[in-house]
Amino acid sequence: MHDTSQTHPLQVPKRLQQPVQLGAAHAEQFAATFEALAAAVDTVLLGKQEVVRLALTAMFSQGHILLEDVPGTGKTTLARTIAAAVSGQWRRIQFTPDLLPSDVSGVTIFNQASGAFEFHPGPVFANIVIADEINRASPKTQSALLEVMEEGRVTVDGNPHQVPQPFLVVATQNPVEMDGTYRLPEAQLDRFLVKLSVGYPVEAAEIEVLRGTHQRSPEHLAPVVDTETVAQMADMAKNVYIAEPLYAYLVQLANATRNHPQVAVGVSPRGLIALTRAASVFALSQGRTYIIPEDVKALAGPVFSHRIQTAPDAAMRGITGAQIVADAFDQVPVPLPASAA
Amino acid sequence: MSGANPDQRRQRRARYRLRIAAVAACLTLMCLVAGTVAARVYHGRMLLLLVAGAAFAAFAIGFALRNKPSFLAPGASATGLAAYLLGAIALTSDGTDPLGATAVDALVNAVPRTLTALIPVEPMPDTVVVPVFLTWLAATLSCEFAIRYGRTLLGCLPPTLLYGAGLYLVGPNADAGPLYAIVYCVLAAVALAVTAAPPERRPDRDATVDGETPSRTPALMGAVVTTTVLVAAVAVLGPAAARLVTTSPGDPREYVEPPQLTDIDLNPLVRIAEWAKFPEQELFKADTSDDAWMRLAVLTEYDGTTWQSTGDFRTAGTVVPGAGEATYSADVEIIELGGKLVPAPADPAGVTDLPIAVNLYTKCLLTPDGLATGTSFHVDSALVGNDPAGAESARPDLSDATTVAITPGTPEIMVQIAEYITATYETPYERAQGLADFLSQHYSFDAEAPSGHDLPALGFFLGSPVTAGGQRGTSEHFASAYAVIARLVGLPSRVVVGFDVPSGASTVTAAQGQAWPEIAFDGPGWVRFDPMPAAGVAPIPPEDTLEQMEEETPSPEEAEGGGGEAEDFNDEALEQDGDFNEEAGSEDAGIPRWVWYALAALLLACVPLALKARRALRRRRRLRKGTPAERIAGAWAEVLAEAGRAGVKVPAHANAEEAAVRLGALEADVGALPRLVNAAAFAPGAVSKADADAATALVAPFSRTIRHQVNWVRRFLT
Repeated sequence: MHDTSQTHPLQVPKRLQQPVQLGAAHAEQFAATFEALAAAVDTVLLGKQEVVRLALTAMFSQGHILLEDVPGTGKTTLARTIAAAVSGQWRRIQFTPDLLPSDVSGVTIFNQASGAFEFHPGPVFANIVIADEINRASPKTQSALLEVMEEGRVTVDGNPHQVPQPFLVVATQNPVEMDGTYRLPEAQLDRFLVKLSVGYPVEAAEIEVLRGTHQRSPEHLAPVVDTETVAQMADMAKNVYIAEPLYAYLVQLANATRNHPQVAVGVSPRGLIALTRAASVFALSQGRTYIIPEDVKALAGPVFSHRIQTAPDAAMRGITGAQIVADAFDQVPVPLPASAA
Repeated sequence: MSGANPDQRRQRRARYRLRIAAVAACLTLMCLVAGTVAARVYHGRMLLLLVAGAAFAAFAIGFALRNKPSFLAPGASATGLAAYLLGAIALTSDGTDPLGATAVDALVNAVPRTLTALIPVEPMPDTVVVPVFLTWLAATLSCEFAIRYGRTLLGCLPPTLLYGAGLYLVGPNADAGPLYAIVYCVLAAVALAVTAAPPERRPDRDATVDGETPSRTPALMGAVVTTTVLVAAVAVLGPAAARLVTTSPGDPREYVEPPQLTDIDLNPLVRIAEWAKFPEQELFKADTSDDAWMRLAVLTEYDGTTWQSTGDFRTAGTVVPGAGEATYSADVEIIELGGKLVPAPADPAGVTDLPIAVNLYTKCLLTPDGLATGTSFHVDSALVGNDPAGAESARPDLSDATTVAITPGTPEIMVQIAEYITATYETPYERAQGLADFLSQHYSFDAEAPSGHDLPALGFFLGSPVTAGGQRGTSEHFASAYAVIARLVGLPSRVVVGFDVPSGASTVTAAQGQAWPEIAFDGPGWVRFDPMPAAGVAPIPPEDTLEQMEEETPSPEEAEGGGGEAEDFNDEALEQDGDFNEEAGSEDAGIPRWVWYALAALLLACVPLALKARRALRRRRRLRKGTPAERIAGAWAEVLAEAGRAGVKVPAHANAEEAAVRLGALEADVGALPRLVNAAAFAPGAVSKADADAATALVAPFSRTIRHQVNWVRRFLT
């Protein structure tokens, strides 16, 4: 467990309690902060700018991140770097088969000195929780994360305990080493806003990694923003303008995945809401106060893919959720004026 | 456009349903109008009703299956067509044959019989199958194209082809129908105006910019005004243009092999001798409403050997074209009369119970299967013409060269008689009657006279001494000789073979069979003359009369006239006829053909000009009219349209950034246009007039840059 207390003196709007009309200045400030944070993470995780920005987008969308990739590609490093770049409280849980739910959420024990039961918070009580190799824990332990990921609170012995805000779970899992693992259920997958794959770095970046491995540790990264700033920026994203035609565009995309002949279960309404939130953050990170179809297209893959359950025969043919999403985009016309002229 | 709230989607769906219903109604009516074009040459309203039913039923089936799999439509339509055809055949059949046999016969012979049937066509099983089938097919295809696939223009093609087929079938046999054309064009215009394409496939029409739907009123008003101008132009200029047309469309029936006549029908005059020898032979029974001469054949062409009829026989229904109101009727039952020619009064109006073909030139009738004992039929007639009183002061009708043609080698006796008639009588009618009197007074009837009406035989009949067997003959000789001499005199003539049938029920025998001559007068028409001698009156030797005339008349060398006059008279007739032909030739000349070609070329040249003008106006409207957001959207539409002309199509699912990548293939700069388009479409009030100006300023350079990449044909045409 690690605690950080440094904050970065960025000028961001005060906490936005009421919906307001965002101006260009707000968007520019958001984009600057976002870019500063991304640049900080980029110094540790080389050559993965796109993944980094998607992960940060998920963080500012107040969604949780699932990083899935083969061992050694930087999943944990990414998670730790993001946590290190934010000056809040962050904790890491290494999931193992014998990990108990109470090891995650905390326990209530009897204090003989006070003569009363006291709640001892688990590692989930932090702004950023890194759930490393989450698929190695038993389903019972995995489900312990369900409530806290969705509702931001833990209930132990019937007593609810609020986790600190903002609250972000960055989970990692290994897709190839399946022995002794427990596949995440669909319900839990749906609670992750995005599922990202880090992937191997390009050759130049990999050479650069070899040159300075010891210098690029998350431990050496100074925090760029504090959790309060993150919360304020997440509030700003809720005020991004979405034009009416885009709502229909989003719903038609979701319907296209649901009606796809090779899909058993399409995108849920929760997935659609997640895409909207993520697109809002992405728009702000680009210095815009409104969403455009390009934002939707940039984020639909990471947001939708893990929520789509392909039909058994399609799964056997290796058809993935990403391909279904691509098909959906090919079917739904973009609501641009005269796009078919 | 895809983006809309539920209310807007409901409204859009309602508008879509309204449009598709309007298109369906227009195309159905277009099929009906196209089918009605052919119905103009049919008798009664039966075909009109059948065609209307076919159009509605076929379209209704296609419309009902528009959202079902496309493979269902052909089967359902074919089943409906089979049922409808069977119903139409049952409805028009007379019930004499089983329905199955009638249907097979109608389907096998539908095309040739429809094309050979005489106008007005009787709605019979074999004549209604083709129009009903074509109408059904046109309606089905039209529905598939326009309703299922949303291709309204393509949907207009089948009814248009049906319209053309109808015009071809009608040919020159009906008046010009500008009203049909106008109604058809208006329906097509309406169908095209309210396109049947679903709204999501026409985002340009349903685009929303800043939450507002662009007004379609200008486009609608433009369509209405254009249609009104076109209709007015057709209504005003159409009749004038129609007057410039001097030729009639071709008649498909002219290309059809007519019913063939047997030898006995080709030259029915040879029957006269047989009838004269066996006068008691019972030919047919007749029950008539009045005294009348029933004609068997009308012979107008004489080649010096035989008299033959002119014109082909055309298959007819029960109604004979061009006849007036029937004033005479007869029921006929054949006994021993053979051949194919049908005895009927002049100007027959209708024949029932017997399949007939009609000679449009002479109005004689023929039954393709031939007459047989027991054959019975009913015939009505208008009985016009044959008005001797009106002919007394009339001029001869020289409009038909066939009726005044003279064969070389005319016997001298005929020329002498012609000279006598010309010298003795003044007016044409007097000469016609005088010729009849001359023959009846100077020649006698002989039932035993040998048959023959070639020029030598007629010369023998007229000029040989009585002791040698001359100067006597049957009506074959009298009528033939009369007709030939009449032409020498300058009177248009023909020979008719027929029967003198009294009113009431009677049996017509061979004794009533006769040939008689007729003379054509301008006004009264063909007038019958009787050159037969009166019974019991001794003939005057013709040479006495002719020699007396020669003594009283100066010779041709001393004075112009006499025989020369007869020849000249005939020549004048031919000259007049020649004048008539020249006149017709001048009418045919009309407007030179190159004028029409030039007009057509001009119209063709106007098409690309009109398209260019339309594009320019559309660009002007898009770039200059509306809010800044609308102008930016218009600039984007223009850029995409230009790229399309250059062969780079941007799919509907591409966003602005992807579209810009595709446009990059043209190596033309679109600058900040994609960003502005996104801002105009998805940001609230984020674009200003300056942005709109910047966006619209990009269009012209873009067009110029990619102009060389546009196919030259497309560049020329659009």
